[in-house]
Amino acid sequence: MVSGFIEAIKSCVQGVEPVEVSYPEKGYHYALEAGAESLPVVVGFFDEKRFYLECLLCTDYSDVLELVYLFNTHLAPCRVKVTLKIDPQHPVAPSISALYGSASWYEREIHEFYGVLFTGHPNMAYLFLHNGIDHYPMRRAKVPVPPEDQARLDSFKPGEAADSFFINLGPQHPSTHGVLRVVLKMDGEYIEQAEPVLGYLHRMHEKMAENRTYQQFLPNTGRMDYLGAMSFNLGYVLAVERLCSIPVPDRARYVRIIATELNRICSHLLWLGAYLADLGALTPFLFVFDDREQILDVLEGIAGSRLTYCYFRFGGLYNDVDDQFIEGTRAFVKRMWSRFSLYEKLVTGNVIFVNRTKGIGTITKEQARKFGAAGPVLRSAGIACDLRKIEPYSSYNELEFAVPIGEHGDALDTYRIRIAEMENSLRIIEQALAKLPGGPIMAEKVPKKLKPPRGDVYQVVETPRGELGIYIVSDESDGPYRMKWRVPSFSNLMIFPELAKGVLLADAVAILGSLDLVIPEIDR
Amino acid sequence: MAEMVNELLNMASSEAGKMIIGLVGVLAFVVVNALLLTWAERKIAGHMQRRIGPKEVGPFGLIQPIADALKLLGKEILTPVKVDRPLYYLAPTLIFVPVLVSFIVIPFDAALQVTDINVGILVVLAFSSITILSILMAGWGSENKYSLIGAIRSVAQNIAYEIPMLLALLPVVMLANSLSLKEIVEKQQCLWYAVIQPLAFIIYFIAAVAETNRTPFDLPEAESELVAGYHTEYSGMRFALFFLAEYTNMFIVSAIAATFFLGGYQGPVLPGIVWFLAKSYFLVFVIIWLRWTYPRVRFDQLLNFAWKGLIPLAFLNLIITGGLLKI
Amino acid sequence: MGERGFHLEKEIIPVKFALVEKVLDLARANSLWPVTFGLACCAIEMMATAMSRFDLDRFGAGVFRASPRQGDLMIVTGTVTKKMAPVLTTLYEQMPSPKWVIAMGNCAISGGPFVFEGQYNLVEGVDLLVPVDVYVPGCPPRPEALLEGFLKLEEKITGTRRFPRVESAW
Repeated sequence: MVSGFIEAIKSCVQGVEPVEVSYPEKGYHYALEAGAESLPVVVGFFDEKRFYLECLLCTDYSDVLELVYLFNTHLAPCRVKVTLKIDPQHPVAPSISALYGSASWYEREIHEFYGVLFTGHPNMAYLFLHNGIDHYPMRRAKVPVPPEDQARLDSFKPGEAADSFFINLGPQHPSTHGVLRVVLKMDGEYIEQAEPVLGYLHRMHEKMAENRTYQQFLPNTGRMDYLGAMSFNLGYVLAVERLCSIPVPDRARYVRIIATELNRICSHLLWLGAYLADLGALTPFLFVFDDREQILDVLEGIAGSRLTYCYFRFGGLYNDVDDQFIEGTRAFVKRMWSRFSLYEKLVTGNVIFVNRTKGIGTITKEQARKFGAAGPVLRSAGIACDLRKIEPYSSYNELEFAVPIGEHGDALDTYRIRIAEMENSLRIIEQALAKLPGGPIMAEKVPKKLKPPRGDVYQVVETPRGELGIYIVSDESDGPYRMKWRVPSFSNLMIFPELAKGVLLADAVAILGSLDLVIPEIDR
Repeated sequence: MAEMVNELLNMASSEAGKMIIGLVGVLAFVVVNALLLTWAERKIAGHMQRRIGPKEVGPFGLIQPIADALKLLGKEILTPVKVDRPLYYLAPTLIFVPVLVSFIVIPFDAALQVTDINVGILVVLAFSSITILSILMAGWGSENKYSLIGAIRSVAQNIAYEIPMLLALLPVVMLANSLSLKEIVEKQQCLWYAVIQPLAFIIYFIAAVAETNRTPFDLPEAESELVAGYHTEYSGMRFALFFLAEYTNMFIVSAIAATFFLGGYQGPVLPGIVWFLAKSYFLVFVIIWLRWTYPRVRFDQLLNFAWKGLIPLAFLNLIITGGLLKI
Repeated sequence: MGERGFHLEKEIIPVKFALVEKVLDLARANSLWPVTFGLACCAIEMMATAMSRFDLDRFGAGVFRASPRQGDLMIVTGTVTKKMAPVLTTLYEQMPSPKWVIAMGNCAISGGPFVFEGQYNLVEGVDLLVPVDVYVPGCPPRPEALLEGFLKLEEKITGTRRFPRVESAW
C-alpha cells in the first residue's frame, strides 16, 4: 500500500476526491471519480508516479456508461479505480493512448463493443468484430452502428507500397499459436510494421456472463485459457467468494494450490514444446507431451477432464483428493526433477537455440510498464512482480518459493524464467503435499442461489502467462451484471508491434513464441 | 528364338545398350530408394520420439510408402489460376535432371557403374546447380509470396554452400590425382581419405546437408514461418516429385561422401555393393538424425556461417594440403 | 445429413473402375494427411493424439502438412466464428479432391457451449459451411475418441473397419 497516496494526488490534481476502500472486500485500495477534463491530468499523475494501467473497461448501466480505469504499481500493490461517467446518447471520452500504450487496444475494444468514441486516438479501427456486425454487442439495448461510424467496420485495409509487400502470418498457422493473424509489412526479409488482427476466436464470453448465473458460467472459465484452465477457474471462484464473502476451508485451499501448480507445469511444458517446434526442432515437442500426459492422468483422477477443467466450486472443491492422487503426484514430482537435465542438454545447451533466442525481442522496463506486460515477459525485463507473492491468495503466503527474474528481457530470459518457474512449482507442490491438512473440502452452507451484495470486486491471480484480473459488477441477482476479464496475453501481445520493427521474419516468429500467447483468452 | 536372344545380347553389350540398361536400373533404384527413405524417415523419427511410427499398414509399416504414393497418384491435378504455367509445370520435372545425371557416374561396385566419365565429379557438381534453378522456377511461378520468399532463401543458401562443397572435394582430387570417381575409390585401398582429410569430410558433409535443404538448414521450407516454402502451391504427384527429388538428393550426396571419403565399395569379405550401400545409408541415417534433433538456424546466421566460417576453413585446408603435397 | 447442412448427391458415374477404385481407396484411407487447422481447445487434444502416447502416425496419418494443397483431411478443431468462416471455406476449396472433413468437438458440430440467446459471432456447426464426413463429439473429445473418428473415416472410405468394434461394458 503506497502510503500518503491521497495527499499526493490531492496536491497534484484539483477537484478529485479519492476514497479509501476496504481491500479484502473489493480487491482494490482506492476509488476516485474523474471528469472528462480532469482525466488526462489524473492519468498524467499516475504515469509520473510509475503506475501501470492494469485494465480499462466499460459498463453499461442503462442511464449512464461508466468507464473504469484500474491503475496499479508493480512491487507494492496500490490499486486505484478511476471511474468516468459518460452520456450514453453521445458517448465521447478523451483517449489516454498517448500516455499509456496499452490503452490503445483497450479503447478500440470499448469502441467496437459499446460505441464510445475516444478523441485523440490515432486509429479507431475495429479490432475484434467482423465485417457484418451492425450493432454494438455489449450494450444492453440494441444500439445500431450510426452511419458515420460504419466506415470503421472494415477499415483495416493494408495497402501496398512501392518497395514493400504485405504478408499474412496466420490465421491458419503451421505453428501452434491458434488463430492469430499478424499482417506484416515486409521489406525483403525485414519487417517494417506488424499489425495483429484479432477476433477470429471471439466467443462472446463477456456477453454470455451477463446471461448466465454465477454457477452456470463456471465451465466458460476453462475454455478461455485452455492451457491454464485451473488458474482461470481459481481466479473466478476467488472473485465470487470475495464478492459473497464465502470462507474456504484449509484443505480446499491447499488442494487448489496443488492442482493449479500442476496445471502451471503443464502449460509451461506445452509452451516449451511449441516454441521449439516454431524454431524447427520437432522432437522436444513429443517429449514434453509425454511429461504432460503424466500430469493429465493425475489430474483426471480428481477433476474428470484432461484439458478444460471445472474443478473448483464456490467455497471449495466438488471432489476430494484420494490416495491415488497423492501417490501419483509424488511419483510425477520425482520423475520430473530428473527430466530437467534432459531439457538442459537438449535445449539450453544447444548453440543453435541460444543463437536464435539471445538478444531477440528485448523488452525494457519502461516498455513493460507502459504496455502492462505480465508474467514471465514482465519478469524477464527485471521487475520481480509475481502476484502469488505480492497479493497472495489461497494460502500461497504459507509456502516458500522464489521469483526468478531475468536481466536482459530477451527471449532466452523468458525461456530460463519459465524453466525456473517449473522448478518452483515442483517445490510448491512438495511443500503443499507435506502440509496438506485434513478436514472438509467445501464450506458449510453455501447457498445454491447466491445473493451477492450490490457493488463491484476485482480479483487477480497469477496464471502461467501472467496477471489475470476479473472485475465483477453485481446487482444483487444471482448472475453477474458485468464481468470483465483482464487477460495477460492481450497486454503481452501489445508489445509485439514495437518489438517486431526492423527484425527478420524468423526473429518475429521467435518473439511471438516467447510471449506465450493463447488466443482464446485474447479474443474472449 | 536363339537368334533373337543372341541379337539382344549383342545389342546389350554395345555402349548404347549398356547405357539404356544402366538408366533403367538407375530409375528403378531411385524409386525404390525414395520409398525406402520415406519409410525410414518416419520410422526413425518415431523411434527417436518414443513412439513407433507407421505400423498398421503392412508388417512394420513397410507398405506405408506405397500407400502414400498411390494416394498422391490419385489426387486431383490442381493448377491454381494465376500461376505462370511454363515455370509451374517445368519445375518438378527439371528438379530430377541433376539427380539422374549424377547417378550415371557413381560407382556402386567395381563393375557396376553406368559410365566412368573421367571428369566424373565435375559433371555431378555442374549439374547440381540446376536444382537451384528449378527451385527458383517453382517459387516464382507459383505466384505466392511464401513460395517466393522460400525460393529466394533457397537460392542464397545453395549458392553459398556450393562453394565449400567444392572446396572440400578438391583436396581429395589433389590427393588422388584424378577427377574420375572410380579412380578415387581405387586409390583408397589402403587408407580412407576421411582419415587423411577429416576437416574436408566434415565441411563437405555440412555443406551437403545445406545443399539438400534439410534441417538445420531447411529455411526454404521453414514450416512454422512460411507455410511450406517453395512447394506450397504444388499438390498431388507434382508435390511427390519434389519429395522424391529431395530424398534422392540425400542419397546422392551421401554416396559422393562415401565415394570420396569412406572408400566407396572397398571392403573385405562382403561384395563391394553391400559396403557401398552400407556406407551411403549410414550417412543418410546421420542426415535424418540431424533433422530430428536440431532447430533451424536463422537466415543471416546461415549465410554468415557459410561465408565467414566454412569457406575460409575450406580454403585453409586446401592450401595446407597443396603445400604438403608439394613437399 | 439432416435438414441443416449440405446435401451431397450421389453422382451417377457411367464407368465403374472396380479394382482400381478399391486399391486407391485403400491407399487413401491408409495415408490421410491432415491439414494443420487448430482453432481452439480441441486442437491441443488433436496434438496429443499425434504425440507419442496415442500416435496417429501408426495409421499413416501423422504427416501434418501446413499447406492445404498437400493435405487430404481437414480436422476442424474448435469454434468457428463468423470472422473465421471465410478463411475456413477458402482453405477447404484450396484442398484438392478427394478430401474429407472431421468435425472434432462440440463447437464444430453444433456450436458447442457457446450457443446462447442473442449470440452474434458464432457459426453453429461447421457443417453449415463445408460438408462433414465424421463428427467426433466431446468438449474436448479424448484422443481415443479422435482415433475412433479416424477409424470411422477409414471405414467410410474403404467399407471395412480396421479393428473390431469394442462393445462397451455398460
